[in-house]
Amino acid sequence: MGMSFAGKTAVVGIGATDFSKNSGRSTLRLAVECSDAAIRDAGLRPEQIDGMVLFTVEDNHEIDVARNLGIPELTHFSRIHHSGGAACGTLHQAAMAVASGACNYCLVFRAFNERSETRFGVGVQNRAPAPTPMEVDFGWSSPFGLLTPASWVAMFARRYMHEFGATSEDFGRVAVADRKHAANNPKAHFYEKPISLEDHQQSRWIVKPLHLLDCCQESDGGQAFVVTTLERALDLPQPPAIIAAAAQGSAEDQQMMKSYYRDEITDIPEMGLCARQLWRDTGLGPSDIQTAILYDHFTPLVLPQLEEFGFCARGEAADFIRDGNIEIGGRLPINTNGGQLGEAYIHGMNGIAEGVRQIRGDSVNPVPGAQNVLVTAGTAVPTSALILSGSH
Amino acid sequence: MSESEEPGFVAGLRESIGRSGSIWVARDPVNPAMIRHWCDAMGDHNPVYTDADAAARSIHAGIVAPPAMLMAWSMRGLEPAGEGPDDAEDPGTGVYRALDAAGFTSVVATNSEHDYIRYLRPGDELHSSQVVEDVSEEKKTGLGVGHFVTTRTEYRNQHGESVGRMLFRILKFKPGTGRMAQAGGQEAAERPMRPQPGISLDTAFFWEGLEAGELRIQQCGACSVLHHPPMVRCPQCGNYDLGWVEASGRGTVYSHVEPVHPAFAAFDPPYVVGLVELEEGTRLLTNIVDIDPEAVRVGMPVELVIRRENSQGSLPLFRPVCPPRSEVTRAGDAVAVGDELPPCPIPITTTLIISTAIASRDYQDVHHDRDLAMERGSPDIFMNILTTSGLCARYVTDWAGPEAVIKRLSLQLGVPNYPNDTMTLSGSVRSSEAGRVEVAIRGYNRLGNHVTANVELELPPASD
Ligand SMILES: [Zn+2]
Repeated sequence: MGMSFAGKTAVVGIGATDFSKNSGRSTLRLAVECSDAAIRDAGLRPEQIDGMVLFTVEDNHEIDVARNLGIPELTHFSRIHHSGGAACGTLHQAAMAVASGACNYCLVFRAFNERSETRFGVGVQNRAPAPTPMEVDFGWSSPFGLLTPASWVAMFARRYMHEFGATSEDFGRVAVADRKHAANNPKAHFYEKPISLEDHQQSRWIVKPLHLLDCCQESDGGQAFVVTTLERALDLPQPPAIIAAAAQGSAEDQQMMKSYYRDEITDIPEMGLCARQLWRDTGLGPSDIQTAILYDHFTPLVLPQLEEFGFCARGEAADFIRDGNIEIGGRLPINTNGGQLGEAYIHGMNGIAEGVRQIRGDSVNPVPGAQNVLVTAGTAVPTSALILSGSH
Repeated sequence: MSESEEPGFVAGLRESIGRSGSIWVARDPVNPAMIRHWCDAMGDHNPVYTDADAAARSIHAGIVAPPAMLMAWSMRGLEPAGEGPDDAEDPGTGVYRALDAAGFTSVVATNSEHDYIRYLRPGDELHSSQVVEDVSEEKKTGLGVGHFVTTRTEYRNQHGESVGRMLFRILKFKPGTGRMAQAGGQEAAERPMRPQPGISLDTAFFWEGLEAGELRIQQCGACSVLHHPPMVRCPQCGNYDLGWVEASGRGTVYSHVEPVHPAFAAFDPPYVVGLVELEEGTRLLTNIVDIDPEAVRVGMPVELVIRRENSQGSLPLFRPVCPPRSEVTRAGDAVAVGDELPPCPIPITTTLIISTAIASRDYQDVHHDRDLAMERGSPDIFMNILTTSGLCARYVTDWAGPEAVIKRLSLQLGVPNYPNDTMTLSGSVRSSEAGRVEVAIRGYNRLGNHVTANVELELPPASD
């Protein structure tokens, strides 16, 4: 049984601030700016917005953003947990909200000064011990110096290399593809700065086996969306990016970033759970997807995502990537905005915007005939994914 | 040229280069007692050295001496006044005395290259003659300011037959002039504490277990299934009555990483975070300790060691398990370039350092007398180079098998082996051709790399 809202809602507006290393503005200002832009892009007035879905980790409050934008009333507001895993989940929630009638025009945004104020990469070494679930969880890892997102992901990467013979160069090919795409994107931090595999191999160690160029950027910026029903979307100026399906996934023995205790740690079963829902609700399969935005906080977990969605068999992603399939002109160009390694790290939300642009046909790296675009959210956490489709 | 030295000081020392000393005849012939003493101290249980029956059946057709003992036979021992050649005439001794007089009173061996032409047997009398090969300019080293002195020694038996050669390099340095003299001990005390675990009512048993010296795994009281991280309810059977079992402490490395950037003051680089799969089946995060981080491998056997690091409480850490001695000799065609020797941790104790120094007849005070070692600028006594040679040789033959014949053993020392540390040897095959195998070895301790060695072996070329 599929989800009743599948194919019945659309992204009708997108808006972003500039992406930078130091925005020079408050996160509230970033949130308001990107939301303002998305509402204008949708051809709406702020007072028409009546719903809001945010990340749990979003610092800005719905009410502050509403007050600044001049949104008088909200009939739906909710938040999605698990950091980057929430990205597509926010649109999933917004789609459900507008499809159910809880609200009509739902605003979704993520805004932060992740580089200039709160860097995720500096580590969790200064947390005070407490008998709370989160500190008990960190208790299994922090006393041993496993303190950063890069290190949490590297543990999966090492095992993947061991089981499937993947190499650091195979991870590097993801970075090379992202940077090649970013090189054409004036909004990308690494605009006109492609890298070679050699550059990747020469970049310094962050956590062995991960090099610097396996890691996403740290960025300041905001990205917003407006979601409404497909029926209303057809009256608005932008071609709708139909949310053909959206799904969340949390799988057995799920942990936050450290699901190390499962029988296998080289797959991503929570992403597989999302994949099954998306294929079921759309009737589509891997061969129907022309381009994908695969969450790339760190390169290694792009590989098992390709496997979970069936673009290649289990353990064969390195071969798939080695054959040039993920670059423009290949079988499945990924992260055509440059991804979070090349464009900016906006917790996966800038990737969803790129998915919308591929459907609208105004990406800087347009994929010919892009009718169905897959977008995924954070890996190694409870996650989400969606398929955006064109209306023709 | 340093201003601390008289002009022409080094040139004067170098006048000894190329001059041979008189021939020194070892005080005792090769004998089973010294061999046994050496093997006991080194932990070398190869039967060709001590088991007459096994040795008789081996390719040696009788007891042989461990090859790394070569230099030990000709060591003078403790103050053998009047027994040796006239020391003043000996060019090596002359150089050392001149350096002593100039304040370079401390000594440490840095390199040795042994060529074993044939293994020594009980009854062999060793005749050695030494040539000074080089005296360096003054160098600044981690240990202090000093000069490297290189000598070459030829070994013959009583029949004039050449049995071995040795190139030996020592550093004569001024005590207290290097940074290593200040190292060790103090830094650890100033390090900030590691992050403390959050501990709840549900997880306290785990941390209490470590204080009691055991690693506990949660176990369902009803269906006996193990859980980690701990739960409050067994998802298998619905039971809330959860106890624990003590883990054996044996496991294997399931995955591992080496955090490099950013650096954390509480964690000394390089360090390895491992995900260990216990033999009971659950996994846990830990540090893989007592090993060169580059030698950690997925699948490597490890064992529990509970330690209080710079932590409020004890932590469950894991170290490599010393591989068992190979009873069968590997054939050359079964050894391929890139093959890795399983890492072997060797606890460095005061007893090991002293018993091996004496077994090698090395009575340098820095290897047995802590007070004198400290007076010479060292934080403690430290292992002598003959022992490092003996342990490298043992490591390789324990892997290759009892009838592997060592042809060459060359090594370079790095940081010292002080007591209360662990040196872990690891190695890999560098070349293998027709039974001639070269193995590269590294010995790693808490301070870093103690030894880099190359061992050339002769193995039976083909397996039957
Ligand atoms: Zn149970």
